[in-house]
Amino acid sequence: MKSLDQKLGLFSALPVVALLGLAFLAPLVVVALFSIMPAKVFSLANTPDFSAYAVFVQQGYYKSLLWSLGMALASTAILLVVCWPLAYAMAKVFKSFTLVLTIAIVMSLFVSENIRLFGWVLTLMKGGLIEGHFRALTGIGFDSPLYGVPIIVFGLVYVYLPFMLFPLAQGIAMVPDDTRQAAYDLGASRWQVLWQIEIPLAAPGIVVGSLLSFVLAAGALAESKILGGQAVIAIADDIETAFTFGQNWPLGSALSMVLIVIIGTLALFGISKVDLDAIMGRKR
Amino acid sequence: MKASRLTRNVLFVYGILMIAFLYLPLVSVGFASVSQARYLSFPIRRYSTKWYGEAFESSTVSELLLTSLSVAVVVTIVSLVFAFFGALAFARYQWRFRNVFQKLILLPIFFPQTVLGLALLMWFNSLGIIPTWKTAVVAHLVWITPIATLIVAIRAYSFDPALEEAARDMGAGTLTVLREITLPLLMPGLVSAGLFAFLLSWGNFPLSLFTTGADSTLPEWLYAKMVSGYSPLVPTLGIMSVVGSFLLILFAFALVWLMRANKEARTAQD
Amino acid sequence: MNSSPFLSLRGVVKSFGNFTALDRIDLDIKEGEFFTIVGPSGSGKSTLIRLLVGMDDLTSGEIRLRDQRIDDTPANKRPTCMVFQSLALFPHMTVGQNIEFPLKLRKEVPDRRRARALELLDLLRLPQSYYDKRISQCSGGERQRVALARALAFDPEILFFDEPLSALDYRLRKTLEKELKDLHARTGKTFVYITHSLEEAMVMSDRIAIMKRGKIEQISVADEIYGAPVSRFVAEFMGEVNLFDVTVAADGSVSSDVLSSRSGVKLVPAGEEARGLLMVRPEYVGFADTADAFDFTMSGPLHGEYALGSRIQYEIETPAGMVTVEKLREDRRTVSEGETMTVGFNVENTHFIDEAS
Repeated sequence: MKSLDQKLGLFSALPVVALLGLAFLAPLVVVALFSIMPAKVFSLANTPDFSAYAVFVQQGYYKSLLWSLGMALASTAILLVVCWPLAYAMAKVFKSFTLVLTIAIVMSLFVSENIRLFGWVLTLMKGGLIEGHFRALTGIGFDSPLYGVPIIVFGLVYVYLPFMLFPLAQGIAMVPDDTRQAAYDLGASRWQVLWQIEIPLAAPGIVVGSLLSFVLAAGALAESKILGGQAVIAIADDIETAFTFGQNWPLGSALSMVLIVIIGTLALFGISKVDLDAIMGRKR
Repeated sequence: MKASRLTRNVLFVYGILMIAFLYLPLVSVGFASVSQARYLSFPIRRYSTKWYGEAFESSTVSELLLTSLSVAVVVTIVSLVFAFFGALAFARYQWRFRNVFQKLILLPIFFPQTVLGLALLMWFNSLGIIPTWKTAVVAHLVWITPIATLIVAIRAYSFDPALEEAARDMGAGTLTVLREITLPLLMPGLVSAGLFAFLLSWGNFPLSLFTTGADSTLPEWLYAKMVSGYSPLVPTLGIMSVVGSFLLILFAFALVWLMRANKEARTAQD
Repeated sequence: MNSSPFLSLRGVVKSFGNFTALDRIDLDIKEGEFFTIVGPSGSGKSTLIRLLVGMDDLTSGEIRLRDQRIDDTPANKRPTCMVFQSLALFPHMTVGQNIEFPLKLRKEVPDRRRARALELLDLLRLPQSYYDKRISQCSGGERQRVALARALAFDPEILFFDEPLSALDYRLRKTLEKELKDLHARTGKTFVYITHSLEEAMVMSDRIAIMKRGKIEQISVADEIYGAPVSRFVAEFMGEVNLFDVTVAADGSVSSDVLSSRSGVKLVPAGEEARGLLMVRPEYVGFADTADAFDFTMSGPLHGEYALGSRIQYEIETPAGMVTVEKLREDRRTVSEGETMTVGFNVENTHFIDEAS
């Protein structure tokens, strides 16, 4: 039976592995190669140099990177705090309402993120859903919060909320009720139970959720473009511009490589820390 | 220690507020789609459905819808086949490289989609392939197949491998086992994975942005109009897309319900 | 041992919606005693212990410890502690960290904590090298001891146990039962133990309470509960039993449609006529070689013979119903199935259960 499992495993993994090899790993190699080409070429048949990386440092592209990473960090921290109570409730308190919440949140994921962000523009703009109605009722208007760094972070929190919430709820569900009660019984306060029992035991969910939302937020483009109105430039925006208006593939590739290396390191580190079988509900 | 009634109610309200928070922007889009004015401002003075009429008559719109639909249908079918086998390799079979495989599958999900789209664009270019909606299918597959695989894998984890072993013990070959035991048991997972695959492809924009070439999907067009040159059709098409998705979900639920009712009726007859 | 009320419950009620899980429980537990609450699943014993520990709120009634009301005190402020059925050891901590957990919460200095943890490892006969072991490296019996050590580190006024041995295999359970009794003697603490196993209760307890459907049926020492149960439920719950429908006259004479008794046989007079059950445990039923060997006799064909290790059980189909007889293996009889046998018992080995009460 063991050798049959070996064969079947290899065989059934083949299609996915082939797909990811040809359409995920190979393109990454191409990006890596392009990033060491001289500026503004469209073929790999050139003498490699590292000029694109020099441009990254000299022309201040690292600022965009820092902005992106900073906003991603901020949104991840906010998401952790905002999602914890709800994830806790979904895992331990609610019964059928958990299903309702799950369906409602998953359905929102199916709506293209730019439609939802555009909806926030309509909601928050001057003369939008909130300000417009407020002014019609009271006669007093106020400035729109749009087009700034806080609103971009808000957009990131909004778009990536499910990616934090679900892993977190899964992590909290893995904390046995008995250990929590035992800690109370041994004299722990609510805070002590949270810090010493719940958070350490829910760590796999916390790691996956934070990683997922950080990584996705760091590479996000639409939030800064639609809500931020170019208040700051996200690194993904720079990458896009380099490819499209700039027609400078090597520069775009170099910027991508920097992002890929940061994100890849984090993702690999996080994924290696987590027992996937346990999180996904192995029944053996 | 159980949550007190007060805590429970507070959390319940929090959950409701969260749903409201998630759907509030769609409410705005909904109102905007029925505003008569070309340049929108709230409160809306005159309601009209004329933008819907225009959308239905526009040939651009039907082209956009056709492209989006083609991509989503092909992505759904291909990703389901891949995910069925992928999930077995992920959850069911104990083989040597299972751990590596599990981690490989997660990588594309953790990857910024914009960068992935650009990487694919360069890859297609080096291969001499001109991007069309078909290359967008490949791009979507890279991201959606892993998600579909995970969804089917959750189902695969929950069924007892002894069922397959029992069938094999009674003389069934590998293919018979797959067809008669594994496939029916994984069916619920495949249905939800299919739904996810279709809807995620339908709504995706960062991957399509760089990989569709001259073709354009609905989300791509909407994005272009949002960033530059607003069109009153944006909220209208947005709502049409959302309503279409939700109708599909309803349809899927109805189908599952009908299948179950049918099965019960048949067992009742036996 | 102090005999003034230590832990006392008055009119404790717990209901979930329309369902009454605990119905007006009155109970007094003495300081230093090993008190066991026994009952089948659904009898409310687990609900009761959760109230005592403070993990649930009572619907009405009061709980007092040393005459202080504690029912409004939350679990983390009560001087009591429980060993869970699942043990609830913290999987992310070592054995040492688990044991020191309650001490750490009290801001005890690390040296003192460590010294106390090592002391407790000794007390529970675990090698000191276990201090740095992970919980996942411990066997079932070792985890049991760690859980006990952690509870003792808390130094509770009362130690509660929620069926902690039920998941273990038979031999280990027997060993730990004896160790627990021994530990009780050495620590002098009050132990309140919950189990569905009568055997466990009999081996360890000073006193036993039997619960049925949210009420306490009987509270007494083990011998009395075994020999003089107050109801059919208690009699049957406490092991194999033979019960006969009888009527006892005011003078104590027994009349029955199914039992034939020697003339002049009398129970302790009850004062008035009563209907009820006459109980006799199988080990007090003997084979009657002569017609008047016993106060009560009956006969019928042998239905079956079962070997129970050190004892042999016989079932005889009499007009009074199936009668169970238990003999030590050394007193085994050579019999064949279907053979007619006469069995009997004496009045001093019976107990009358008045069904009206």
